[in-house]
Amino acid sequence: MFSVKYLRIVCLSRAAPHSHWPKASRLSVCKPVLSSSHCFTTNTLQNSTVDFTAPGKQSELCFCFNQVFRNCSTCQVKVNCWNCKQVLDKELTFFCRSCKVVQPSDDGTTFFKIMDCDHSFTVDVQKLQRRYLQLQRSLHPDNFSQKSAREQEYSESQSALVNKAYTTLLKPLSRGLYMLELEGMGIDEGTESGADSDFLMELMEINEALHEAQTPDEASKIGHDMKARLVELTEQIDTALQKGELQAAKALLAQMKYYTNIEEKVKEKLSEFM
Amino acid sequence: MAGGLARKCGSALWSLTRRLSAPEFFTQCCYHSKVLDHYENPRNVGSLDKTSKNVGTGLVGAPACGDVMKLQIEVDDQGKIVDARFKTFGCGSAIASSSLATEWIKGKTVDEALMIKNTDIAQELCLPPVKLHCSMLAEDAIKSALANYRFKQNSGQQGAGQTSSETKPSET
Repeated sequence: MFSVKYLRIVCLSRAAPHSHWPKASRLSVCKPVLSSSHCFTTNTLQNSTVDFTAPGKQSELCFCFNQVFRNCSTCQVKVNCWNCKQVLDKELTFFCRSCKVVQPSDDGTTFFKIMDCDHSFTVDVQKLQRRYLQLQRSLHPDNFSQKSAREQEYSESQSALVNKAYTTLLKPLSRGLYMLELEGMGIDEGTESGADSDFLMELMEINEALHEAQTPDEASKIGHDMKARLVELTEQIDTALQKGELQAAKALLAQMKYYTNIEEKVKEKLSEFM
Repeated sequence: MAGGLARKCGSALWSLTRRLSAPEFFTQCCYHSKVLDHYENPRNVGSLDKTSKNVGTGLVGAPACGDVMKLQIEVDDQGKIVDARFKTFGCGSAIASSSLATEWIKGKTVDEALMIKNTDIAQELCLPPVKLHCSMLAEDAIKSALANYRFKQNSGQQGAGQTSSETKPSET
Protein backbone atom coordinates (compact mmCIF):
# COMPACT_ATOMS: atom_id res chain seq x y z
CA MET A 1 0.00 0.00 0.00
CA PHE A 2 1.40 3.37 -0.83
CA SER A 3 0.12 6.87 -0.63
CA VAL A 4 -0.81 8.59 -3.82
CA LYS A 5 -1.92 12.09 -4.44
CA TYR A 6 -5.49 12.07 -5.59
CA LEU A 7 -7.57 14.80 -6.96
CA ARG A 8 -10.60 15.07 -4.75
CA ILE A 9 -13.50 16.72 -6.41
CA VAL A 10 -16.08 18.57 -4.42
CA CYS A 11 -18.84 19.48 -6.80
CA LEU A 12 -21.03 22.45 -6.14
CA SER A 13 -24.37 22.74 -7.87
CA ARG A 14 -25.77 26.11 -7.45
CA ALA A 15 -28.68 27.92 -9.04
CA ALA A 16 -28.09 31.41 -10.30
CA PRO A 17 -29.03 33.90 -7.61
CA HIS A 18 -32.40 35.50 -7.71
CA SER A 19 -34.06 37.69 -5.27
CA HIS A 20 -37.26 35.67 -5.11
CA TRP A 21 -37.17 32.90 -7.34
CA PRO A 22 -34.64 30.24 -8.26
CA LYS A 23 -33.73 30.38 -11.89
CA ALA A 24 -33.96 27.48 -14.19
CA SER A 25 -30.29 27.31 -15.07
CA ARG A 26 -28.04 25.40 -12.77
CA LEU A 27 -24.37 25.98 -12.63
CA SER A 28 -22.09 23.13 -11.83
CA VAL A 29 -18.74 24.10 -10.46
CA CYS A 30 -16.15 21.57 -9.59
CA LYS A 31 -13.61 22.56 -7.03
CA PRO A 32 -10.58 20.32 -7.14
CA VAL A 33 -8.80 19.65 -3.89
CA LEU A 34 -5.60 17.73 -3.51
CA SER A 35 -5.54 15.22 -0.73
CA SER A 36 -3.53 12.23 0.23
CA SER A 37 -5.11 8.89 0.45
CA HIS A 38 -4.26 5.24 0.27
CA CYS A 39 -4.22 4.22 -3.29
CA PHE A 40 -6.76 2.24 -5.17
CA THR A 41 -4.51 -0.23 -6.79
CA THR A 42 -6.52 -0.51 -9.94
CA ASN A 43 -6.46 3.20 -10.61
CA THR A 44 -3.84 5.09 -12.41
CA LEU A 45 -3.64 8.78 -12.73
CA GLN A 46 -3.49 9.80 -16.29
CA ASN A 47 -2.38 13.08 -17.60
CA SER A 48 -5.34 15.30 -17.48
CA THR A 49 -6.29 18.88 -17.86
CA VAL A 50 -7.12 20.46 -14.57
CA ASP A 51 -8.26 24.00 -14.20
CA PHE A 52 -7.74 25.21 -10.68
CA THR A 53 -10.28 27.95 -11.09
CA ALA A 54 -11.28 29.33 -7.73
CA PRO A 55 -14.64 28.18 -6.49
CA GLY A 56 -17.39 30.60 -7.30
CA LYS A 57 -16.32 31.13 -10.89
CA GLN A 58 -19.06 30.28 -13.32
CA SER A 59 -17.16 27.77 -15.36
CA GLU A 60 -17.22 24.06 -15.80
CA LEU A 61 -14.01 22.25 -15.04
CA CYS A 62 -13.23 19.24 -17.16
CA PHE A 63 -11.38 16.27 -15.81
CA CYS A 64 -10.20 13.17 -17.55
CA PHE A 65 -9.58 10.65 -14.80
CA ASN A 66 -10.39 7.08 -15.43
CA GLN A 67 -12.55 4.96 -13.18
CA VAL A 68 -12.69 7.25 -10.18
CA PHE A 69 -14.90 10.01 -11.42
CA ARG A 70 -17.99 9.24 -13.39
CA ASN A 71 -19.87 12.47 -13.45
CA CYS A 72 -18.88 15.88 -12.13
CA SER A 73 -22.41 16.79 -11.19
CA THR A 74 -23.08 13.60 -9.23
CA CYS A 75 -19.59 13.31 -7.72
CA GLN A 76 -19.57 9.74 -6.63
CA VAL A 77 -16.16 9.98 -5.06
CA LYS A 78 -14.59 9.14 -1.77
CA VAL A 79 -14.23 12.22 0.35
CA ASN A 80 -11.67 12.51 3.09
CA CYS A 81 -11.81 14.37 6.33
CA TRP A 82 -9.80 17.54 6.03
CA ASN A 83 -8.42 17.03 9.52
CA CYS A 84 -7.54 13.37 10.00
CA LYS A 85 -7.73 12.34 6.32
CA GLN A 86 -9.96 9.39 7.09
CA VAL A 87 -12.47 8.52 4.45
CA LEU A 88 -15.84 9.92 5.28
CA ASP A 89 -18.20 7.01 5.31
CA LYS A 90 -21.34 8.66 3.97
CA GLU A 91 -22.22 10.92 1.10
CA LEU A 92 -23.59 13.53 3.43
CA THR A 93 -21.45 13.94 6.49
CA PHE A 94 -21.54 16.83 8.88
CA PHE A 95 -18.86 15.49 11.24
CA CYS A 96 -16.00 13.09 10.74
CA ARG A 97 -16.70 9.78 12.45
CA SER A 98 -13.08 9.44 13.52
CA CYS A 99 -12.01 12.83 14.81
CA LYS A 100 -15.50 14.35 15.20
CA VAL A 101 -14.46 17.53 13.45
CA VAL A 102 -17.04 19.50 11.44
CA GLN A 103 -16.77 19.10 7.68
CA PRO A 104 -17.29 21.68 4.94
CA SER A 105 -20.81 21.98 3.61
CA ASP A 106 -21.68 20.00 0.52
CA ASP A 107 -23.56 22.43 -1.71
CA GLY A 108 -24.00 19.73 -4.31
CA THR A 109 -26.45 17.74 -2.27
CA THR A 110 -30.17 18.35 -2.29
CA PHE A 111 -32.12 19.96 0.50
CA PHE A 112 -34.14 16.76 0.79
CA LYS A 113 -31.02 14.80 1.64
CA ILE A 114 -29.80 17.39 4.07
CA MET A 115 -33.11 17.36 5.92
CA ASP A 116 -33.48 13.59 5.60
CA CYS A 117 -36.80 13.90 3.77
CA ASP A 118 -38.16 11.92 0.88
CA HIS A 119 -37.76 13.73 -2.42
CA SER A 120 -41.44 14.47 -2.59
CA PHE A 121 -43.82 17.43 -2.50
CA THR A 122 -45.46 15.91 0.54
CA VAL A 123 -43.26 16.54 3.53
CA ASP A 124 -43.74 15.65 7.17
CA VAL A 125 -43.37 19.16 8.55
CA GLN A 126 -42.93 18.03 12.13
CA LYS A 127 -40.18 15.64 11.15
CA LEU A 128 -38.60 18.43 9.14
CA GLN A 129 -38.65 20.73 12.13
CA ARG A 130 -37.18 18.07 14.41
CA ARG A 131 -34.39 17.43 11.92
CA TYR A 132 -33.73 21.16 11.66
CA LEU A 133 -33.41 21.55 15.42
CA GLN A 134 -31.28 18.43 15.68
CA LEU A 135 -28.87 19.68 13.03
CA GLN A 136 -28.63 23.21 14.38
CA ARG A 137 -27.96 21.93 17.89
CA SER A 138 -24.73 20.46 16.63
CA LEU A 139 -23.85 22.78 13.74
CA HIS A 140 -24.71 26.22 15.02
CA PRO A 141 -21.67 28.55 15.11
CA ASP A 142 -22.29 29.22 18.81
CA ASN A 143 -20.95 25.72 19.44
CA PHE A 144 -17.68 26.55 17.74
CA SER A 145 -16.62 29.76 19.41
CA GLN A 146 -13.60 28.03 20.96
CA LYS A 147 -12.70 26.07 17.86
CA SER A 148 -10.29 26.87 15.08
CA ALA A 149 -11.10 29.49 12.45
CA ARG A 150 -11.51 26.79 9.83
CA GLU A 151 -14.01 24.89 11.93
CA GLN A 152 -15.92 28.09 12.61
CA GLU A 153 -16.05 28.79 8.92
CA TYR A 154 -17.35 25.29 8.15
CA SER A 155 -19.87 25.52 10.94
CA GLU A 156 -21.20 28.79 9.54
CA SER A 157 -21.59 27.42 6.04
CA GLN A 158 -23.19 24.21 7.28
CA SER A 159 -25.59 26.08 9.53
CA ALA A 160 -26.51 28.50 6.73
CA LEU A 161 -27.13 25.63 4.34
CA VAL A 162 -29.35 23.88 6.87
CA ASN A 163 -31.28 27.12 7.33
CA LYS A 164 -31.75 27.46 3.59
CA ALA A 165 -32.81 23.84 3.23
CA TYR A 166 -35.30 24.14 6.07
CA THR A 167 -36.92 27.39 4.91
CA THR A 168 -37.15 26.10 1.34
CA LEU A 169 -38.78 22.81 2.26
CA LEU A 170 -41.04 24.20 4.95
CA LYS A 171 -43.51 25.99 2.69
CA PRO A 172 -45.29 24.27 -0.21
CA LEU A 173 -44.60 27.13 -2.63
CA SER A 174 -40.84 27.26 -2.13
CA ARG A 175 -40.70 23.48 -1.92
CA GLY A 176 -42.52 23.07 -5.22
CA LEU A 177 -40.39 25.68 -6.93
CA TYR A 178 -37.25 23.99 -5.62
CA MET A 179 -38.43 20.67 -7.00
CA LEU A 180 -38.96 22.29 -10.40
CA GLU A 181 -35.50 23.79 -10.16
CA LEU A 182 -34.01 20.36 -9.53
CA GLU A 183 -35.62 19.28 -12.78
CA GLY A 184 -34.04 22.20 -14.57
CA MET A 185 -37.23 24.19 -14.74
CA GLY A 186 -38.19 27.45 -13.17
CA ILE A 187 -40.76 30.19 -13.45
CA ASP A 188 -39.61 32.92 -15.82
CA GLU A 189 -39.34 36.47 -14.65
CA GLY A 190 -41.31 37.73 -17.60
CA THR A 191 -44.93 38.68 -17.97
CA GLU A 192 -47.51 35.98 -18.21
CA SER A 193 -48.68 36.87 -21.67
CA GLY A 194 -50.62 33.69 -22.08
CA ALA A 195 -52.32 33.96 -18.73
CA ASP A 196 -56.02 33.38 -18.36
CA SER A 197 -57.47 36.90 -18.31
CA ASP A 198 -60.40 35.71 -16.20
CA PHE A 199 -57.94 34.49 -13.59
CA LEU A 200 -56.05 37.79 -13.59
CA MET A 201 -59.30 39.71 -13.34
CA GLU A 202 -60.33 37.63 -10.39
CA LEU A 203 -57.00 38.39 -8.74
CA MET A 204 -57.55 42.11 -9.29
CA GLU A 205 -61.02 41.90 -7.78
CA ILE A 206 -59.77 40.04 -4.72
CA ASN A 207 -56.96 42.54 -4.23
CA GLU A 208 -59.38 45.44 -4.60
CA ALA A 209 -61.83 43.88 -2.17
CA LEU A 210 -59.03 43.41 0.34
CA HIS A 211 -57.90 46.98 -0.07
CA GLU A 212 -61.43 48.25 0.43
CA ALA A 213 -62.15 46.01 3.43
CA GLN A 214 -63.44 48.14 6.28
CA THR A 215 -63.47 45.54 9.03
CA PRO A 216 -61.16 42.74 10.19
CA ASP A 217 -63.93 40.26 9.40
CA GLU A 218 -63.97 41.26 5.75
CA ALA A 219 -60.23 40.86 5.52
CA SER A 220 -60.32 37.55 7.40
CA LYS A 221 -62.95 36.22 5.03
CA ILE A 222 -60.63 36.84 2.11
CA GLY A 223 -57.83 35.22 4.08
CA HIS A 224 -59.90 32.09 4.66
CA ASP A 225 -60.80 31.98 0.98
CA MET A 226 -57.14 32.17 0.02
CA LYS A 227 -56.24 29.46 2.51
CA ALA A 228 -58.84 27.13 1.04
CA ARG A 229 -57.59 27.77 -2.48
CA LEU A 230 -54.02 27.16 -1.41
CA VAL A 231 -54.95 23.84 0.18
CA GLU A 232 -56.63 22.78 -3.04
CA LEU A 233 -53.65 23.92 -5.09
CA THR A 234 -51.27 22.02 -2.84
CA GLU A 235 -53.10 18.79 -3.58
CA GLN A 236 -53.15 19.50 -7.29
CA ILE A 237 -49.43 20.30 -7.35
CA ASP A 238 -48.65 17.12 -5.43
CA THR A 239 -50.59 15.09 -7.99
CA ALA A 240 -48.93 16.84 -10.91
CA LEU A 241 -45.43 16.35 -9.54
CA GLN A 242 -46.07 12.71 -8.73
CA LYS A 243 -47.16 12.16 -12.31
CA GLY A 244 -44.14 14.08 -13.57
CA GLU A 245 -46.35 16.72 -15.19
CA LEU A 246 -43.90 19.53 -14.68
CA GLN A 247 -45.58 22.11 -16.91
CA ALA A 248 -48.87 21.63 -15.10
CA ALA A 249 -47.08 21.89 -11.75
CA LYS A 250 -45.37 25.07 -12.93
CA ALA A 251 -48.70 26.69 -13.85
CA LEU A 252 -50.22 25.67 -10.54
CA LEU A 253 -47.24 27.02 -8.62
CA ALA A 254 -47.66 30.34 -10.41
CA GLN A 255 -51.26 30.47 -9.19
CA MET A 256 -50.03 29.58 -5.74
CA LYS A 257 -47.63 32.52 -5.83
CA TYR A 258 -50.45 34.97 -6.59
CA TYR A 259 -52.66 33.60 -3.82
CA THR A 260 -49.77 33.53 -1.36
CA ASN A 261 -49.14 37.20 -2.05
CA ILE A 262 -52.75 38.00 -1.29
CA GLU A 263 -52.54 35.94 1.89
CA GLU A 264 -49.58 38.03 3.01
CA LYS A 265 -51.50 41.19 2.25
CA VAL A 266 -54.38 39.94 4.37
CA LYS A 267 -52.01 39.65 7.31
CA GLU A 268 -50.77 43.18 6.71
CA LYS A 269 -54.31 44.45 6.47
CA LEU A 270 -55.33 42.72 9.69
CA SER A 271 -52.34 44.22 11.46
CA GLU A 272 -53.49 47.66 10.32
CA PHE A 273 -56.79 47.11 12.09
CA MET A 274 -55.04 46.47 15.38
CA MET B 1 -60.88 69.13 5.41
CA ALA B 2 -58.38 66.88 7.18
CA GLY B 3 -60.71 63.93 6.70
CA GLY B 4 -61.02 64.66 3.01
CA LEU B 5 -57.28 64.91 2.65
CA ALA B 6 -56.81 61.67 4.54
CA ARG B 7 -59.32 59.97 2.29
CA LYS B 8 -57.60 61.34 -0.77
CA CYS B 9 -54.23 60.10 0.45
CA GLY B 10 -55.77 56.79 1.37
CA SER B 11 -57.33 56.34 -2.05
CA ALA B 12 -54.14 57.39 -3.74
CA LEU B 13 -52.22 54.87 -1.72
CA TRP B 14 -54.70 52.03 -2.30
CA SER B 15 -52.45 50.38 -4.84
CA LEU B 16 -49.46 50.42 -2.55
CA THR B 17 -50.27 47.14 -0.96
CA ARG B 18 -46.76 45.93 -0.35
CA ARG B 19 -44.83 48.19 1.94
CA LEU B 20 -41.11 48.49 1.88
CA SER B 21 -40.64 46.01 4.66
CA ALA B 22 -37.26 45.76 6.35
CA PRO B 23 -36.04 42.64 4.51
CA GLU B 24 -36.99 44.13 1.11
CA PHE B 25 -35.40 47.43 2.03
CA PHE B 26 -32.05 45.97 2.94
CA THR B 27 -32.08 43.52 0.06
CA GLN B 28 -32.54 46.22 -2.51
CA CYS B 29 -30.47 48.77 -0.63
CA CYS B 30 -32.77 51.71 -1.18
CA TYR B 31 -35.25 52.47 -3.92
CA HIS B 32 -34.33 55.31 -6.21
CA SER B 33 -35.93 58.64 -5.32
CA LYS B 34 -37.98 58.57 -8.53
CA VAL B 35 -39.44 55.21 -7.61
CA LEU B 36 -40.21 56.49 -4.13
CA ASP B 37 -41.90 59.54 -5.64
CA HIS B 38 -44.22 57.40 -7.78
CA TYR B 39 -44.74 55.02 -4.89
CA GLU B 40 -45.82 57.75 -2.49
CA ASN B 41 -47.49 59.98 -5.08
CA PRO B 42 -48.76 57.63 -7.76
CA ARG B 43 -50.22 59.30 -10.80
CA ASN B 44 -53.45 58.24 -12.52
CA VAL B 45 -54.59 55.61 -10.06
CA GLY B 46 -58.07 54.38 -10.77
CA SER B 47 -60.34 52.86 -13.38
CA LEU B 48 -62.08 53.81 -16.59
CA ASP B 49 -65.36 52.54 -17.93
CA LYS B 50 -64.39 49.15 -19.30
CA THR B 51 -67.61 48.88 -21.30
CA SER B 52 -66.83 51.99 -23.32
CA LYS B 53 -65.80 51.40 -26.90
CA ASN B 54 -63.05 53.99 -26.58
CA VAL B 55 -61.47 52.35 -23.53
CA GLY B 56 -58.84 49.67 -23.85
CA THR B 57 -58.00 47.54 -20.84
CA GLY B 58 -54.72 45.72 -20.35
CA LEU B 59 -54.40 43.12 -17.63
CA VAL B 60 -51.05 41.43 -17.04
CA GLY B 61 -49.41 39.35 -14.37
CA ALA B 62 -45.88 38.38 -13.41
CA PRO B 63 -45.96 34.85 -12.02
CA ALA B 64 -42.41 34.97 -10.71
CA CYS B 65 -43.23 37.69 -8.19
CA GLY B 66 -47.03 37.51 -8.14
CA ASP B 67 -47.57 41.10 -9.27
CA VAL B 68 -50.78 42.02 -11.07
CA MET B 69 -51.24 45.15 -13.17
CA LYS B 70 -54.24 46.69 -14.89
CA LEU B 71 -53.79 49.62 -17.22
CA GLN B 72 -56.62 51.34 -19.06
CA ILE B 73 -56.56 53.92 -21.81
CA GLU B 74 -59.23 56.18 -23.23
CA VAL B 75 -58.72 57.12 -26.84
CA ASP B 76 -60.48 59.91 -28.70
CA ASP B 77 -61.77 59.76 -32.26
CA GLN B 78 -58.45 61.00 -33.61
CA GLY B 79 -56.62 58.05 -32.08
CA LYS B 80 -55.04 60.08 -29.31
CA ILE B 81 -54.89 58.77 -25.76
CA VAL B 82 -56.71 61.35 -23.69
CA ASP B 83 -56.77 59.51 -20.38
CA ALA B 84 -55.00 56.60 -18.72
CA ARG B 85 -55.49 54.86 -15.40
CA PHE B 86 -53.76 52.03 -13.63
CA LYS B 87 -54.13 49.68 -10.70
CA THR B 88 -51.14 47.65 -9.62
CA PHE B 89 -50.76 45.18 -6.80
CA GLY B 90 -47.10 44.49 -6.32
CA CYS B 91 -43.78 45.95 -5.37
CA GLY B 92 -42.81 49.60 -5.43
CA SER B 93 -40.99 49.25 -8.74
CA ALA B 94 -44.06 47.75 -10.40
CA ILE B 95 -46.27 50.54 -9.07
CA ALA B 96 -43.79 53.20 -10.15
CA SER B 97 -43.43 51.63 -13.61
CA SER B 98 -47.16 51.60 -14.24
CA SER B 99 -47.60 55.08 -12.80
CA LEU B 100 -44.90 56.41 -15.11
CA ALA B 101 -46.38 54.49 -18.03
CA THR B 102 -49.76 56.19 -17.64
CA GLU B 103 -48.00 59.57 -17.45
CA TRP B 104 -46.11 58.93 -20.64
CA ILE B 105 -48.92 57.55 -22.78
CA LYS B 106 -51.28 60.41 -22.07
CA GLY B 107 -51.30 62.70 -25.05
CA LYS B 108 -49.67 60.15 -27.34
CA THR B 109 -51.33 58.47 -30.25
CA VAL B 110 -51.95 54.76 -30.18
CA ASP B 111 -49.00 54.18 -32.52
CA GLU B 112 -46.70 56.37 -30.45
CA ALA B 113 -47.66 54.58 -27.27
CA LEU B 114 -46.70 51.28 -28.89
CA MET B 115 -43.13 52.57 -29.15
CA ILE B 116 -42.63 52.83 -25.41
CA LYS B 117 -40.08 50.26 -24.29
CA ASN B 118 -39.47 48.79 -20.88
CA THR B 119 -35.86 49.93 -21.10
CA ASP B 120 -37.07 53.55 -21.30
CA ILE B 121 -39.14 53.08 -18.17
CA ALA B 122 -36.31 51.29 -16.35
CA GLN B 123 -33.84 54.00 -17.32
CA GLU B 124 -36.13 56.80 -16.18
CA LEU B 125 -36.73 55.14 -12.82
CA CYS B 126 -33.14 53.91 -12.47
CA LEU B 127 -34.40 50.41 -11.79
CA PRO B 128 -31.78 47.91 -10.67
CA PRO B 129 -31.34 44.73 -12.77
CA VAL B 130 -33.37 42.68 -10.33
CA LYS B 131 -36.39 44.94 -10.97
CA LEU B 132 -36.21 45.17 -14.74
CA HIS B 133 -39.10 42.73 -15.05
CA CYS B 134 -41.36 45.36 -13.43
CA SER B 135 -40.77 47.73 -16.32
CA MET B 136 -41.43 44.86 -18.71
CA LEU B 137 -44.74 44.31 -16.97
CA ALA B 138 -45.65 47.95 -17.57
CA GLU B 139 -44.70 47.76 -21.23
CA ASP B 140 -46.80 44.64 -21.65
CA ALA B 141 -49.71 46.32 -19.87
CA ILE B 142 -49.56 49.22 -22.35
CA LYS B 143 -49.50 46.83 -25.29
CA SER B 144 -52.30 44.77 -23.83
CA ALA B 145 -54.47 47.87 -23.38
CA LEU B 146 -53.74 49.01 -26.93
CA ALA B 147 -54.54 45.57 -28.29
CA ASN B 148 -57.81 45.52 -26.42
CA TYR B 149 -58.70 48.97 -27.77
CA ARG B 150 -57.91 47.86 -31.33
CA PHE B 151 -59.95 44.72 -30.86
CA LYS B 152 -62.93 46.73 -29.71
CA GLN B 153 -62.57 49.15 -32.61
CA ASN B 154 -62.37 46.32 -35.11
CA SER B 155 -65.29 44.51 -33.50
CA GLY B 156 -67.30 47.67 -33.73
CA GLN B 157 -66.48 48.02 -37.42
CA GLN B 158 -67.17 44.38 -38.19
CA GLY B 159 -70.38 44.35 -36.23
CA ALA B 160 -71.42 42.88 -32.93
CA GLY B 161 -70.89 39.19 -32.32
CA GLN B 162 -67.90 38.73 -34.61
CA THR B 163 -64.58 37.86 -32.98
CA SER B 164 -61.33 39.57 -33.85
CA SER B 165 -58.37 37.75 -35.23
CA GLU B 166 -56.08 39.90 -33.14
CA THR B 167 -54.68 39.06 -29.75
CA LYS B 168 -57.05 37.90 -27.08
CA PRO B 169 -58.51 40.97 -25.39
CA SER B 170 -57.83 41.57 -21.75
CA GLU B 171 -61.30 42.77 -20.99
CA THR B 172 -62.37 43.49 -17.47
